[in-house]
Order: sequence, then structure tokens, then C-alpha cells
Amino acid sequence: MSKINPLFFALGIPVVVIVILVAIVVPRMGGGGRFADLTPFSVETYRRDWATLQGNSYRLECQVEQQLAFVEGRGRVLAVKPISKDPVGRIPVFIPAGSADSFEVGQRFKCKLRVTRDLLVVEALERF
Amino acid sequence: MRHLIFSCFGWCALTVLGFAQAPPPAPGQGGTGGTAGNYQSTTAEGGADRLFNVNSDSVDLENGTMQWKGATMNLGNSRSVRARFERYLAAPTDNGDMKRYIAILDQIQLLLSPQSLNKENYIRNQKEAFNLLFKAAEFEFDGNGCLTIANQVAKAWRMNTEYQNIEVSLNQFEALRKTQQSVIINRADIMEAANDARTATAGKAGALTKGSSGSTELGYLAKDEARTQAQMLAQGTRLTAVGIKAKLEFQSQMVAFLMARHYRHALINSAFYRVVFNASNQEVVVGAKEVKEFFPVSDFVPTLESIDLLSREAIKDVGKGMQTVDDLLKQEELYGAFERLQETFFLGEFEPPVMLYPQEKKRQMLTLWKDLRELQRLGDERDLASVEAYVNKVRGQARDFPSAPVLSKVNNAMNASNMSLLSAKAAALAGDTAKAETALERATKIWPQNPGVKEFANQVVSRQDTLAQKIPEFDRLMAEAKWREIFNKKLEYALALAQDKERSEKLRKVVQRVGELDANIQKASMLAAQNNPYLAWDVIVEIYKTESDDLVLAKTRSDIAPLVAGYAQLIGRAEKLEKEGAEAAALAAWLSAQDLNPASPTCGAAVKRLARAVAESAVIRSEGAVPTPPAADDIPAPPTK
Repeated sequence: MSKINPLFFALGIPVVVIVILVAIVVPRMGGGGRFADLTPFSVETYRRDWATLQGNSYRLECQVEQQLAFVEGRGRVLAVKPISKDPVGRIPVFIPAGSADSFEVGQRFKCKLRVTRDLLVVEALERF
Repeated sequence: MRHLIFSCFGWCALTVLGFAQAPPPAPGQGGTGGTAGNYQSTTAEGGADRLFNVNSDSVDLENGTMQWKGATMNLGNSRSVRARFERYLAAPTDNGDMKRYIAILDQIQLLLSPQSLNKENYIRNQKEAFNLLFKAAEFEFDGNGCLTIANQVAKAWRMNTEYQNIEVSLNQFEALRKTQQSVIINRADIMEAANDARTATAGKAGALTKGSSGSTELGYLAKDEARTQAQMLAQGTRLTAVGIKAKLEFQSQMVAFLMARHYRHALINSAFYRVVFNASNQEVVVGAKEVKEFFPVSDFVPTLESIDLLSREAIKDVGKGMQTVDDLLKQEELYGAFERLQETFFLGEFEPPVMLYPQEKKRQMLTLWKDLRELQRLGDERDLASVEAYVNKVRGQARDFPSAPVLSKVNNAMNASNMSLLSAKAAALAGDTAKAETALERATKIWPQNPGVKEFANQVVSRQDTLAQKIPEFDRLMAEAKWREIFNKKLEYALALAQDKERSEKLRKVVQRVGELDANIQKASMLAAQNNPYLAWDVIVEIYKTESDDLVLAKTRSDIAPLVAGYAQLIGRAEKLEKEGAEAAALAAWLSAQDLNPASPTCGAAVKRLARAVAESAVIRSEGAVPTPPAADDIPAPPTK
């Protein structure tokens, strides 16, 4: 009976672990994830001329700053701060009433934004 | 007594200057003492009060009376009193041997005094004194008073002779009556005897004879006797009348001398009265009331001694008064000396010490008198501005002149006038013409020459002139909404529109509006100066919504705008977006602005308002149309992944 070389285990297990980790982390670091196929939202463009963005869907990673308004049956308006290298200030996003998520100040999430006229509507989101 | 007199005359000084304007004090109201032993009466301290408010005095120039010892002396009318005192100060001092004159008067009194008179010299002394009267009358300062006494004495003597003649006549009538009476008795006896004899004869013969004879003669004789009795009665009445008339005339002259302040003549008259009427009745009948007033004692009986006492007191007071005048003058207290001289003059202007007062000193007093008269005139005319200058001038002459109270009163009067004038202006601005007129009248009454009154009057006149052009001008500016221009001329318009309530109300609103605007501009400027330009801009933006045409606001806005360029741009953009219906984009712009100015109430309010609006209209908006689609050229290329 052939005997497995112990060296195989000593090298093989770490390699497997590393591969698994890479498989999980790399997609995240690369901006991927659930909405990886969407174009990142440009705050600057929105502020300069929102009309050029209307009808489009974008990906936005942000942090909740303040809930500005809540209307039962309609939804809520949050002031969020986009997470980016250069600080761009706050923008308002609208969370429709159908969402079962709760939002606390300081929470971070990725979301799919749809520009409806000048309104940024969050169609889907993912906390991270 | 001396002190009381000076206390009484403490009022005299300024009153004589014409400051007295009040009715005379009630009879019996004597001097208000309190200065006994001090010749500086309360007059000096109260000078200022009398300058503007004189309620009482012992000399009433309106009626020309003076009170002394509670009695009123008549000095003549006020003008003549002033003129007399001024003439006294200006006139040269009387020449003559005053000592000799006084010696003659003393000699007359001595000859008639009880210690000199006896049975032997009774007539001789009277005649000698009578002759001395003519010598005294030769002196100019006697004023022929002694001649009047001489006439009175001569008249009394003539009446005495007449009295004696009547007595002789009366005695003769009595003798005649007695003779007539004896004749009547004799005739009656004869008739009775004849009747008895006739009755006896008729009884025996039984023949008729004449019943009576001589009864007619007897009737005439009785009538003659009755006539004689009637003549005696008439002579007796005449005798009494002559005696009374002589006494009354003498007493009248005596009291007249006293009331005219010819004290020495009153004394001589009294002395003659005693000897001429042989001390028969020493009670004063004529002028008893006047003499009684000098002695406030109930049941007082005026006598010759009362008149003597008053006269001697007055002579003594005059002497002491003139001595005080000299003392004060030596101490360079000219004002006090002037006051004392006035008092003494009115008490005894015919007394030798007053008449012989040196002319150079009177001249000094005259200068002060004229200045005080001028000061009084200025006070009467309420020329308050000039009073101060004259007070200083008077003080230059008389260092003891009480200027401080005068100036204090002047300042108080000026302030009161100015306050009334302010009240008049306020009332005029409020359109209350009646109140304005009352206040102006009060201001003018207190200080007629108040320059503020003239200025106010000019404003009123000017207002009348410009009224016609101001109203249309105001209406035009209102129509053009030129609030600032109206505000800048608010006082002119206020005067012009005082009577127009509708326009006045509009003016009030404009003034209030621009006032609030100015307050906000000031607030913005202060914030900018405190390195807080964003809040300053908030204020500017807020008021700019309603006052965008105001030039002052525009200038302030342009001053602050460079300091907040980005912030201003954001707000401008936000407002523009909101107007276009892009509320979510506007909200984003407001949030950006708030990031720059977190404390901004404007941003906070806008964010709150727009967030609510966005939440409520989100569903509708998502189905609506794009309000302002951008031009095709402006649409950027889709962002790359």
C-alpha cells in the first residue's frame, strides 16, 4: 500500500485555503458583488445635470447620514453620503415603501439606483 | 422796632424794580419777619422768585402803596413811585445848612414842650415858635411844610378869637334877656295890681268898666325875650362848631403829615396842637382809623402821643437805614446797599439823611438801578437768552447780587419751553393740531423768543408751501414702489401728510418696512464682519425675496457675494430647480449648501420642506414627464464602468 507523502498535506491545505479566500474577497475588492454589472453613480453629473441620467440604473455604495422624511405608504427620503475616494457631500435617495429594510444612521449599503426624473430611487440594496 | 421795620421792607427792593405783579397783601398782614437782627432781608435770597413769580410784597407798585407796621401808606401810582426814586438817584443833592434847619425844628419843639412852657411864657413861646416856622420854611428841603403849619396855627388863633367874640355876644345876649325878663315881670305885676283895684271898685259901684289894660305890650315883651333866647341858642351852637372845626382841621393836618411821611412836621404840628388847644382834648378823632392800624391792639385809643411815637420811630429807622446803606457800601455790597436805600427812601424820603445822601454814591446806585430795571424788563418780556448776559453784567457791579437762583430759574424756564416745543412737534407729526397748538402756546408763553419756536413756525409755513407738491410726489413714489426714497424724506412727508390720515398710514408702513429692511441689512453686515458670511448670505437671500429693488440691499449683497460664491451658487441653483419642479435635484443642491453651512436655518428649512415634498410625490413623479429636458448637446456620454 502506497503511503501519502506528508509534504502533500503540509503544502496542499494552505493552498486550498488561499484559493477559497481569493475566490471570496477578490470579487468584492474589485467592485463586484450583487450589482457589479451596474455603472457606478456619478454624483457630480447628477448635480450638474440630472436630466442626462434619468431613466438609467446605477450602482451606489453609501452610508446613511440622516432620514429626511418618511411618509407612510409612500416611502422615505434618506440623506446618504457616497463612499468614494474624494468626498462629494450628501445626496437624497428615496426608499419606496415596499422595502422591509431598516435604516440606521451610519449603516453602509450597496444599492441599485434608478434615476426617475430627478429622483434617485433605491430599487435594491445590500448591506456590507 | 428797627428790625421789624427792616423786615417789613425786606420785600421792597426788587418789587420797586417792577417785579411785583400781584395784588397787595391783605390788610393787617405785616412784614414776614425772620430777619430780625440781620439787615440782609430775605429779599436778596428770594430775588429770583420775585423775578418771575411775585405773589406778595410790602410795596404794591400797581396800587402805589407801602405797608409799614401792618398799615398801608399811599406812595402814589407805580410809575410815579419809580420816577420819584429814579429822580432822587439822578438829582443833585440838596444844598443848604441841614444842621441849622434841624436845629430850628428842634428849637420849635423845645419852645412848645411841656418842660419849657409855664404861665409866664405860654403866649410868648407860642409866638416865638410861630415865627421860627417861617425861618424853617425858607429852607428848600422843608418843602414849605412849616408854612402850612404856620397857616394852620394862625387859623386856629383866628378861630380862638372868633370863639371869644361869640362868648362875648353870648354874655351880652344873656344880659339883654335878663333885662327883658325883669321888664316883663314888672309889667305883669302892674297889670295884676290894676286888675285887683278894678275888681274892688266894680263891686261897690256896680257900673261897667274896662276889664284889663297893658296885655298887648306884655305880649310883645315876651316875644322879644323868646327871640333873645333863640339868638343865644344859635350863638352857643356856633361856639361849639367853631371849637370842633378848629380841632379837626388841626388833627387832619397832623395825620396828613404822618401819612405823607413828613415826620418832623407831624411832630411840630402835634406840639402846636397841644398848646393852641391847651390840652383840652388829646384824643385823635380825624385819622384815628389810620393811626390805629399802626397799633394792632384792641380798644386802642389814638392820641397825640401815638402820632409822636410813630413819627419818632420812623425818623430813627430812617437814620439807622442810611447808616446801614453806608456800611454795606463800604463792604462793597452794592446790591444790599441799594436795597436798603430803596427801603429807607420810601420810608423817609423827606428825612434829611436821605435827602443829603452824597450824589456820587447815588450815581453808583442809579447805574445799578438802570441795569436792574433792564434785567426786570427782560424778565417781564421773558427774553431768557438775554437775562443771563444781564445777570453777569449786574454781578460785575454788585458782587452780592443773587445771580445763581435767577440763572437757575432761567434754565428751568428754557427747559420747560423746549419740552413743550418737543411736545408740539410730536403732536404735529401725529396730526393732532389742537394739542400741537396748545403745546406751542405754552412754549411761547414761557419763552416767547425761543429760537426753536421760530424754527418750528418756519417748518409749519414751509409745510404749507410744500404741501401741494409733496403729496403728488409721495403718490408717485408709492406707485413706483420706491420705498427707500420715501424713507429718506420721511420727516418732510410726515409734516406734509400730517392731516392726511390715509397717506400717513401708508407712510408709516413704508417707514416700518424700510426700517426692518435696514435692520436686516445691518444684521447681515455684522455677520459678515464676524467671519460668518454664509449666515449673512442667508439673511440677504431672505430679505431679497421681497426687497429686490432696494439699492442698499443690492450693494450689501454684492459686497457679501464674493465671500460665499459657491454657497450662493448652490442656493441659486436650488431655488431655480425648485421653480422648475425638480424638487429632488433642488433637495440635493440644498443638502450641498447645508454641508457648507450646517447652521443655516434657511437650508434646514428648505431641506425639511423639500424632503417632505419629495417623499409625498415620489410615486407620482416617477410616472411624470421630465420638466425641463436638457438640450441634446448637453447630454453627457454615459459614464463608463
